[in-house]
Amino acid sequence: MSLKNVLENFSYFRQDAESGGTHKYEHRFGMAIDLDICTGCNSCSTACYAENNLPVVGKERFEKGQAMHWMRIERYWDEQEFEGDFAEQGAKFMPMLCQQCGAATCEPVCPVAATYHTPDGLNAQVYNRCIGSRFCSNNCPFRVRYFNFWSYYEDSWPEPLNMQLNPDLSVRDKGVMEKCTFCIQRIRVAKDTTQREERPLKDGEFLTACAQACPTNAIVFGDTMDPDSNVSKLWMKHQVQRGPFTHKKEKANEELRGYRVFEELNVDPSIMYLERVRDTEV
Amino acid sequence: MSLKVNRRKFLKMLGWGGAGTALAGCDMPTTVTLEEGKEEVVSYLMPEEYVIPGIGVWYASTCTACEAGCGLHGRVREGRVLKVEGNPSSPINNGNTCLMGQAAVQGHYNPDRVTSPMMRKGGSLQNVSWEEALAELNKRIGADSGLKADKFGYVTGTISGHQSVLVDELMEQVASKNHFVHETVNTTVWNAVARDMLGDETPKYNMAKAGVILSFGADFMGTWGSPVHNMGEYAKFRKREIRGVLVQVEPKMTLTGGSADLWVAAAPGTEGALALGIANFIIDRGWNTVDVPAEVRSSLKQYSLEAVEKLTGVPATKIKRIASLLSERGPSLVLAGASTTNIENGYDSAASVMLLNLIMGNVGETIEASYKFPEKSLRPKQGNTKDLLLLAKALRDKKLDVLVTYNVNPVFTAPDALQIREGLAGVGFKVAITSFPDETSLLADLILPANSGMEEWGTHVPAYQPEDSLLSFQQPLMEVIHKESKAFGDIMLSMLKMRSSDFNKFADYYGYLQTAMMNMPGEGTAEERWNSMLQTGLLKASGSQTALTPRLVDIKYDVEKGSDDYPMHLLPSPRLGMWDGRHANIPWLQEAPDQIAKVVWGSWAEMHPKKAAELGVKNGDYVKITSASGSIETQVYLHKGMHPDAIAVPLGQGHEEYGRYAKDRGVNPMKILDPLMEKRTGELASFATRVKVTNAHKFNLLIKMGGSESQAGRKLVRTISSDVLRRTEGEV
Repeated sequence: MSLKNVLENFSYFRQDAESGGTHKYEHRFGMAIDLDICTGCNSCSTACYAENNLPVVGKERFEKGQAMHWMRIERYWDEQEFEGDFAEQGAKFMPMLCQQCGAATCEPVCPVAATYHTPDGLNAQVYNRCIGSRFCSNNCPFRVRYFNFWSYYEDSWPEPLNMQLNPDLSVRDKGVMEKCTFCIQRIRVAKDTTQREERPLKDGEFLTACAQACPTNAIVFGDTMDPDSNVSKLWMKHQVQRGPFTHKKEKANEELRGYRVFEELNVDPSIMYLERVRDTEV
Repeated sequence: MSLKVNRRKFLKMLGWGGAGTALAGCDMPTTVTLEEGKEEVVSYLMPEEYVIPGIGVWYASTCTACEAGCGLHGRVREGRVLKVEGNPSSPINNGNTCLMGQAAVQGHYNPDRVTSPMMRKGGSLQNVSWEEALAELNKRIGADSGLKADKFGYVTGTISGHQSVLVDELMEQVASKNHFVHETVNTTVWNAVARDMLGDETPKYNMAKAGVILSFGADFMGTWGSPVHNMGEYAKFRKREIRGVLVQVEPKMTLTGGSADLWVAAAPGTEGALALGIANFIIDRGWNTVDVPAEVRSSLKQYSLEAVEKLTGVPATKIKRIASLLSERGPSLVLAGASTTNIENGYDSAASVMLLNLIMGNVGETIEASYKFPEKSLRPKQGNTKDLLLLAKALRDKKLDVLVTYNVNPVFTAPDALQIREGLAGVGFKVAITSFPDETSLLADLILPANSGMEEWGTHVPAYQPEDSLLSFQQPLMEVIHKESKAFGDIMLSMLKMRSSDFNKFADYYGYLQTAMMNMPGEGTAEERWNSMLQTGLLKASGSQTALTPRLVDIKYDVEKGSDDYPMHLLPSPRLGMWDGRHANIPWLQEAPDQIAKVVWGSWAEMHPKKAAELGVKNGDYVKITSASGSIETQVYLHKGMHPDAIAVPLGQGHEEYGRYAKDRGVNPMKILDPLMEKRTGELASFATRVKVTNAHKFNLLIKMGGSESQAGRKLVRTISSDVLRRTEGEV
């Protein structure tokens, strides 16, 4: 791929966020995560370890911030609780994973185009092409790109733990950036199947590992281009749209719960969160 | 049919002693020919036929990571199980899983499994063949061993289905009653109260129907009842037309407390008084929907707002608000868990809590009759800590000559004061049926390697049967990894054959189980039923529902007094993930941050910042926690989801053995518990131990996820009030 090609591609894809989209998307996979029923239990992130061959790094490397959890549950305490005596409204949980931005800040900075945009609306990472510059991770506002500082396979799966590794995707080696793929191996299987059977993809035909595991079904996954998918319906219900940032006040109903994290950065995230609710009367 | 045993006996051996059980005819299609005692068993997995390279096949089975009995689908490719998902047709988990279920594959493929039978020779454990191991076992427990009935003990965790039938059979053969059923994480005291006040130990708690849930330390999303099922119900409760309200009263914020609309810290051990105070206020205002006898009214009078505020430290305004919530936002549901029930007067505390359900008319409304599996012998024996205390006593009194343990680790889960380790030294012959070299197994004289839950057949009857009466079916998801390990059922059959020839007709546990299941009453042919069970992983039986009979019990509530030497309350808190410590050898779960503290790979103690300031400790500083029975030292994590008089040390770490991931990591708070007993049920009062906490003047960085405790104004997680929700999404 020549530099010219990269730059041309960049400006072509870059138009999407500002001008409403010039991509020829086949699908645009997205999510809706309801923070009011997310309990912060960690089932999703453990399912992600199981599905995506994520290495366990151990205490010392975890301390250095080298953990490889593509999906993590962030826990915050309320601002008001820094004043009061007790955390009276519980904790605030947020599943944080790659937001598969439509105008991703990670993509244009890759010197070798290892991180690129797929026709399914994903920010994909080509491991073979990655040279480990870590520019993408530096540019990600969500901190959801993970770098292989070590050859984790050397000690993460002592025999016979290695027998659990999912053969549908690779085990990554030192020097490579990796990230949530919306379980691209499952997408691949579903797309192949629908192609073979000459039919469109059905909503719910496959789910990401996290959405499938979630005990409260707080994570809804699907194709946001399919107006009949559950995820599209939720986006519409909460008046959240693809494309540039619209301020809450510009919505027909500004009290609706849907929002995208850091959407004011105009990165066009593919994950809509639904605000957590607390009963003020209690 | 030329069976040597009579039909009734035969059916009992199969766990089907009920009236009207029909035995299938002799042409029963089975791979084991019962009549001739042939031992031609076709392997359950025939790779040549089933394996299509690159294609995953899904098999239904049952999760054994805890006792809830969730249905699983295991993805098998090229003969290996790779991942599990929830079985959508199981009404327990409705297709979902928790992190322990997801991580169970790492238990199965764990590098530290026991791979060969081992026998103690000259003081050390050495690998032996199965023949040698069984010959030794036969010498000790066989028909000619001269084993005395009451000298034989068996320790298991919660056990149900045909595994339980086989244990019962063995106990009957030996004529011993010493079957100890031990689980650290349990709801025994609450169940006892439910039995006495509702007439059913495990009624259905219909969370989806409740408008307000008031939970006194019941961590129903994490470690109380059937967590995955409860979380599904919780989601429905939040999505009701009028969003349900969760009020959680506990001294340490649990996973459930993290989702509360109102989280209240009452002084540890006074939760019962708070419940009685709320009841008194409700009755005083006439908000109760069920009449309360005059003597109960008058005995509640002493729990005035002022008195309860003084006792619990919960402001009167808050008590009033909780009371009015129960009355205005009903139907309500009130629950109690470990921090309320596992104290010396836990039964009375729990009964005080249950009283609220009775006076608010929740019985029949949000507490409904549950289903009971029709065949009694297959129903679960639920583990508790009373049996742990009984085991300790039997060991202390040197009552046991032979002790068999199966996947339990009392040396780890019992307080040091119970002296289980010392007691075991006095047992002549100890047999451990186990998958892992844990603290208890390594003290055994004979270790028999057990298959993982993904390598064996089994049947499980969950204790909590909210939707339907069912048996959850466990089938192997792959061939055994270690060719020397055996299924628990097979080991049990070997032991039974040592005592009785009746069992010789079963070549193996598969044959036994297939015979048992195909002989069950039901529609279609035996083969159709068997195949359907393999496909769905479930057997639904028309279970009976016990009608609930609410009645008041005599509550003798009295707040326990502490001593000045040990001013603080130690909370050995269980958590979804590590559970009681059995999952500490699973790397994914070690690296999964604790849901509240976010700490990984170790132990920590949770404290209120106010208390920490008194001691002069900050995050990462070490404190010494001393009880009358011992002391531990660990780092602190400070947050405001704690009562200032309490210090919580999560369960799970502090293993001295148990493989590379668990060994020598953190501390075990169970070790320093005082051997106190809940007065009415005889349970271990695990939340009753008082401690003193001192600054150990040592610091290390606390290894946890996330550097920032606050969102720093970024509004990542936004919160709105439910008034807004009512305007936007309230009208469905």
